[in-house]
Amino acid sequence: MNVVFAVKQYISKMIEDSGPGMKVLLMDKETTGIVSMVYTQSEILQKEVYLFERIDSQNREIMKHLKAICFLRPTKENVDYMIQELRRPKYSIYFIYFSNVISKSDVKSLAEADEQEVVAEVQEFYGDYIAVNPHLFSLNILGCCQGRNWDPAQLSRTTQGLTALLLSLKKCPMIRYQLSSEAAKRLAECVKQVITKEYELFEFRRTEVPPLLLILDRCDDAITPLLNQWTYQAMVHELLGINNNRIDLSRVPGISKDLREVVLSAENDEFYANNMYLNFAEIGSNIKNLMEDFQKKKPKEQQKLESIADMKAFVENYPQFKKMSGTVSKHVTVVGELSRLVSERNLLEVSEVEQELACQNDHSSALQNVKRLLQNPKVTEFDAARLVMLYALHYERHSSNSLPGLMMDLRNKGVSEKYRKLVSAVVEYGGKRVRGSDLFSPKDAVAITKQFLKGLKGVENVYTQHQPFLHETLDHLIKGKLKENLYPYLGPSSLRDRPQDIIVFVIGGATYEEALTVYNLNRTTPGVRIVLGGTTVHNTKSFLEEVLASGLHSRSKESSQVTSRSASRR
Amino acid sequence: MASLDDPGEVREGFLCPLCLKDLQSFYQLHSHYEEEHSGEDRDVKGQIKSLVQKAKKAKDKLLKREGDDRAESGTQGYESFSYGGVDPYMWEPQELGAVRSHLSEFKKHRAARIDHYVVEVNKLIIRLEKLTAFDRTNTESAKIRAIEKSVVPWVNDQDVPFCPDCGNKFSIRNRRHHCRLCGSIMCKKCMELISLPLANKLTSASKESLSTHTSPSQSPNSVHGSRRGSISSMSSVSSVLDEKDDDRIRCCTHCKDTLLKREQQIDEKEHTPDIVKLYEKLRLCMEKVDQKAPEYIKMAASLNAGETTYSLEHASDLRVEVQKVYELIDALSKKILTLGLNQDPPPHPSNLRLQRMIRYSATLFVQEKLLGLMSLPTKEQFEELKKKRKEEMERKRAMERQAALESQRRLEERQSGLASRAANGDVASLRRGPAHLRKAEGWLPLSGGQGQSEDSDPLLQQIHNITSFIKQAKAAGRKDEVRTLQENLRQLQDEYDQQQTEKAIELSRRQAEEEDLQREQLQMLRERELEREREQFRVASLHTRTRSLDFREIGPFQLEPSREPRTHLAYALDLGSSSIQSSIAPKTPTPSSAQEPIRVWSGPSALGQELLTQSSMSQQNEGPSLNPFDEEDLSSPVEEGTASPPAAGASFGPSAHIPKEYNPFEEEDEEEAMAGNPFIHRDSPAPNPFNEEDEHLQQRHSSPLVPGNPFEEPTCTNPFEMDSDSGPEAEEPIEEELLLQQIDNIKAYIFDAKQCGRLDEVEVLTENLRELKHTLAKQKGGTD
Repeated sequence: MNVVFAVKQYISKMIEDSGPGMKVLLMDKETTGIVSMVYTQSEILQKEVYLFERIDSQNREIMKHLKAICFLRPTKENVDYMIQELRRPKYSIYFIYFSNVISKSDVKSLAEADEQEVVAEVQEFYGDYIAVNPHLFSLNILGCCQGRNWDPAQLSRTTQGLTALLLSLKKCPMIRYQLSSEAAKRLAECVKQVITKEYELFEFRRTEVPPLLLILDRCDDAITPLLNQWTYQAMVHELLGINNNRIDLSRVPGISKDLREVVLSAENDEFYANNMYLNFAEIGSNIKNLMEDFQKKKPKEQQKLESIADMKAFVENYPQFKKMSGTVSKHVTVVGELSRLVSERNLLEVSEVEQELACQNDHSSALQNVKRLLQNPKVTEFDAARLVMLYALHYERHSSNSLPGLMMDLRNKGVSEKYRKLVSAVVEYGGKRVRGSDLFSPKDAVAITKQFLKGLKGVENVYTQHQPFLHETLDHLIKGKLKENLYPYLGPSSLRDRPQDIIVFVIGGATYEEALTVYNLNRTTPGVRIVLGGTTVHNTKSFLEEVLASGLHSRSKESSQVTSRSASRR
Repeated sequence: MASLDDPGEVREGFLCPLCLKDLQSFYQLHSHYEEEHSGEDRDVKGQIKSLVQKAKKAKDKLLKREGDDRAESGTQGYESFSYGGVDPYMWEPQELGAVRSHLSEFKKHRAARIDHYVVEVNKLIIRLEKLTAFDRTNTESAKIRAIEKSVVPWVNDQDVPFCPDCGNKFSIRNRRHHCRLCGSIMCKKCMELISLPLANKLTSASKESLSTHTSPSQSPNSVHGSRRGSISSMSSVSSVLDEKDDDRIRCCTHCKDTLLKREQQIDEKEHTPDIVKLYEKLRLCMEKVDQKAPEYIKMAASLNAGETTYSLEHASDLRVEVQKVYELIDALSKKILTLGLNQDPPPHPSNLRLQRMIRYSATLFVQEKLLGLMSLPTKEQFEELKKKRKEEMERKRAMERQAALESQRRLEERQSGLASRAANGDVASLRRGPAHLRKAEGWLPLSGGQGQSEDSDPLLQQIHNITSFIKQAKAAGRKDEVRTLQENLRQLQDEYDQQQTEKAIELSRRQAEEEDLQREQLQMLRERELEREREQFRVASLHTRTRSLDFREIGPFQLEPSREPRTHLAYALDLGSSSIQSSIAPKTPTPSSAQEPIRVWSGPSALGQELLTQSSMSQQNEGPSLNPFDEEDLSSPVEEGTASPPAAGASFGPSAHIPKEYNPFEEEDEEEAMAGNPFIHRDSPAPNPFNEEDEHLQQRHSSPLVPGNPFEEPTCTNPFEMDSDSGPEAEEPIEEELLLQQIDNIKAYIFDAKQCGRLDEVEVLTENLRELKHTLAKQKGGTD
């Protein structure tokens, strides 16, 4: 159940199967992202893959001394490109791998194009998703829904991604979905349909307890993506944005040229791997240690290269030294920028109020705090809007709801029209009416006592009080207590035992906070393995875009065309 | 995969890690670093500091409860949180995900398309072969025509009124021409020609690879266009009435095209670009490195650790070899990098990119592997290392042994508390009593005094250790080591013999003052028996700890290696005793006691016999005495009388010592090896015959407890002590190093015991330590 490893294995297998010799990796836009998440350049270079080309690039030289490994999504365009390529082969031999199920007719047209017999392999390798962390995958789809329903093209892509994930992990799951979401049901049905159709592919060794696929909808928890984050990975994504492990630092004041874009990959960055789930403060001290380490390893000024032994020592230390200096400067820059943003945007204070809004039920105090912060000139319009959104979501039906007053405050603060409109859109997206479960007030006695006790003890950490709603859902699922009337099974059969292998998919995008939750659950509940996926991985900004894209303020579109079954195949 | 999209950005070589300036060599890099960046150190530090302070501020707010953890997390370092990206719970063995191959289907579709083409080509080539099989220049044109017609039936002239390609009407001026390969008709303009060299090339290549036609490789080749041009120009030059084609074959455009395509394939197969050639060499070198480097690293590591498994010269040869390969890799990749740079049409950017990437990966390879090559020690260093290692090993073994002994002693002490009263009780009750106890608990009860005296004879331990070293060294096949160890062993044993002799002398002196010789004899026997008992105990404890490593380690060694040294030992002992007691009793059989041990050493079978006879004898005589020593016990008072107590002492010492080392195992051995072991006839089913035997001894002698028994006295726990007691005149200093080692060991044990909170042990150990130190000091004083 390690998605990074699953994809990596596929890529390794492709390279291995092509035998020795110089190789070029031919990819499309999406597979480039997929490969780059699991392999570093130097790693793949060692396997004799020296060139990386896009299938759609026209400016490719004929290089008959190279073997081509083609890793493509089975789209119509890619098949067409491939046919052209085979008619006029540029490389000596082709190993073709599609990232998903390809139709027989496409195979036939490819075969007929291969007059020169340059194709040595045609296979389906189901690495059709972005493996972010070992337990987190994404499909990089922003705006998957129109209104409450799927965008058909995105539904098909999501179905493909999800089925590919199941195939790559060799799981044929039972499916549960969130009843309150039409989209979740739809996706569940599509996945089921593929499993039924490709039953041969899904014939795996049966496990004692069948794996479980749980499909959720972001609407059920619109709070989590609106919060500021304090663990490294989540915080970097929230404040700087992570896109396929890359971070754009070009807007950082005074950034040096080679740090405009940095890569944060747990696969080859030890510091990041060790710190991605730690909170900001811990990272501060860890980076100090890293620096001290670096200082130690760095050749000292007074050290002279007088003897041969000195020189040898220097050269011997050089690669680590170089590697380390790269890590050091990267993380120092990133953490430096984070701390600059935190103080510039007054995020500690903002986050404290956010957490209060998300986790506590004291309306008057919350309102007071929000009002206070709205007056603070350091608080950006973005953060101001997000505070009001949180307030609007939590106290939507509160008797003394004073949202209009806050909206007025926003206007007075000079927050743009776009953000003010988003407040109502967010409520529309994830308000009480659409939620299938109660986000804010716990229902069962255990949870109530828990909260009561929490209140007695005082909060451990003001900034990380919030637990994503997903935690509760998964906790119930693991304990076999997840209500079937809220999360029904698709089909007649249901799981009798507690689930062991769980795949959770969030339509509308997961968050890194939820990834952390899943990570902790994986660590603390032995025997249970959870993989989290989403149409994308959100930060507040992308979540708001998602809300915007769903166009929920004009809810008349609900009747939009739901089907296009053929699309789900391709 | 940061720069997957823009691999062109990759830079390599001696880049300054801070400013990425490219410097040509590491000398330059270093000087650059010194000049440019020496000051920056502090700047970076300052930057970090402010950052850390910021973070700390945040942390104070963030982690109110973790205030006290902070210092801890600071010291832990960033590595300690090593569960980041790789989630240990996710890392169960994971097989490759599902796959599905479409290859067979693909091939099916392709084959349908391709078959047609392949057949066509092969047909043409076979015909071409026939057409070129005879000597065209020297054959009449009519004959040629006949042959040509036999290869392929020509289409009738009448059937084709117009040229099928250009549509011109055939006439006398526009004559019909037949394709020699397919028999079709075309006009002269549309006719193509195949030169003989081309035909030969095609046919000869086909002979080799007619069957392997499917190998995919071809490309539109620029060379090709020019050839086509030359052919067409040739055909235009050719005379109007060329009825006889000496050096070419007429054919239609279609056939010619097919053949040209084929030629292209052949060309490509044969042509390997420079880059491929160089690259193949490069890969070969890399493979060589992958093969040799681990071997070298293994060697170097072993040599650096002072082992003698590999020879230094061989390793340095290998090092040079590997380094040469690295140089070659570097040179080759550089050559690849610069390929075609000076050509007129500069190579395509992607070619350049390829070259750069190859160079980059080669650099990575060299960096990673070459720099991992550790250096070798120089000859002098190596000698030193060897020495060091040997010492280290010995110390380690000694420590292990000591630890085993300690734990054993602990057991023993506990046991002795229980049993000492019984042991001092009357003969009859002892005889059966402890036996039951033993059966039940699995080890022998010992009196307190014995327990204390038992453990610490460092020399014995050392001997023991070394014998086990020898065994291990033998197992590892290190002959030189075995030799040195054996040498060591011999020395140690000599030492021990002397010690024992001195002890004995001292004893006898003291005892001579006593009125009763018999008593003295008894005393000797007592000592003897104690030795046995001690031995006994060891065996017993080994039995109780059957699963302990110690036992197994030593178990096998009784089988082979011990025997050889034993004979050595016998001589050594003999010599030792004779040198000191030169006058009295060397090998001569007069004192049966002196003779006794030698017989014992002569081999297990002898021992067995001896024991057998003895046992029967003693059973007659005294009942319980089943032991050669018992015989001694009986005989010595009678035969020996006052004759030579020192001699007895001298021989007793070693004999007591040697069986202690070897006997139990031998015994074991025998018990396992031969069912006819005399001990098995014993009435009592004790698992270890020695227990029984020992018991007999013990019960007999434990009753008349002699206060003068050196082993009984706690102050005499240490043989070194004995030595010093015996007076300076007999002082044969023990190797100081050994003592120091022992002291170190004991210190380590004390520390360990303290750590574990075993206070009683600490006490005992400190006592030991004090004694050792005392000995050391005395010795120093003595030698100075």
